Amino acid sequence: MKFSVKPDWNQLEEVNDRASEFLRAADLPSGTVDTYTMVICELVENGIKYGRASGEEADALEVSVDLSGQTITVHVKNPVGRSSRTHLRQLDQILQWIRGFQDPFEAYLERVKEISREPMSQGKSGLGIVRIAYEGHAAIDFVLGEDNTLSVSAVAKLNG
Amino acid sequence: MESSETYRDGPLEIQQEAHKDSVTLAFSGKSILRDPAEFVLPILLGAMKQAFDQEKRLVLDFRHLSYMNSSTFTPIIKVLEKARVGSGSVSVLYSKELKWQDVSFTALTIFATSDGRIKIRGAE
Repeated sequence: MKFSVKPDWNQLEEVNDRASEFLRAADLPSGTVDTYTMVICELVENGIKYGRASGEEADALEVSVDLSGQTITVHVKNPVGRSSRTHLRQLDQILQWIRGFQDPFEAYLERVKEISREPMSQGKSGLGIVRIAYEGHAAIDFVLGEDNTLSVSAVAKLNG
Repeated sequence: MESSETYRDGPLEIQQEAHKDSVTLAFSGKSILRDPAEFVLPILLGAMKQAFDQEKRLVLDFRHLSYMNSSTFTPIIKVLEKARVGSGSVSVLYSKELKWQDVSFTALTIFATSDGRIKIRGAE
């Protein structure tokens, strides 16, 4: 499945429905459908939050979901600007941080504890990528292309 | 039931009900809010204050929620921590039949207290 999404938060409900329908049509168990709908939506949310959020078609996110054998591969590509550099550093740091744990569940618990210690006014969760690793059992990576297109991938074994 | 109020934001609905011994927030639909702290946190804190002022249990019922983004967990985590270090009682109800809820909410058992004041409970 491949589709484009305008970088607009209001598109997310449709992305959620579309992802869920696609995975359901592939005859995956309902729990698996919910898990990878979450993976797709969290990656798209990040793309909208940290990409060029102009709302314009030209800055659309490209979403692809590939099911082959027992593996699911999700790619979300979006153009990024200079202001996204901080996010890219943070993304790199959080991926390294997750890889420092033997089990992503431990990373998830640690992040939950960190959030609980942050002030009420701090609304940012930083939980999405950790959740993809923990709940989706996914290997996450990213590549920044020469054309300033960020591609974030999540790859998981469906029986994992 | 003593009182009832409904809050909506997009596909998310939160029904607040005051009962004799509890104040319940029942979540349904999908939570894909960008900044749940703006919408969800004030509702959570308001219900928490109402419950604790009247020495009632705050019940957070997620069983009819079909999707929740990671950002929505933030205010829930903060309210659970606030309750944990305080003296009020909170129950989180989730559905064990929904795999995503079972996996997501299991992690919140770190806030449960041995005296049952804070409960994280999966319902069959």
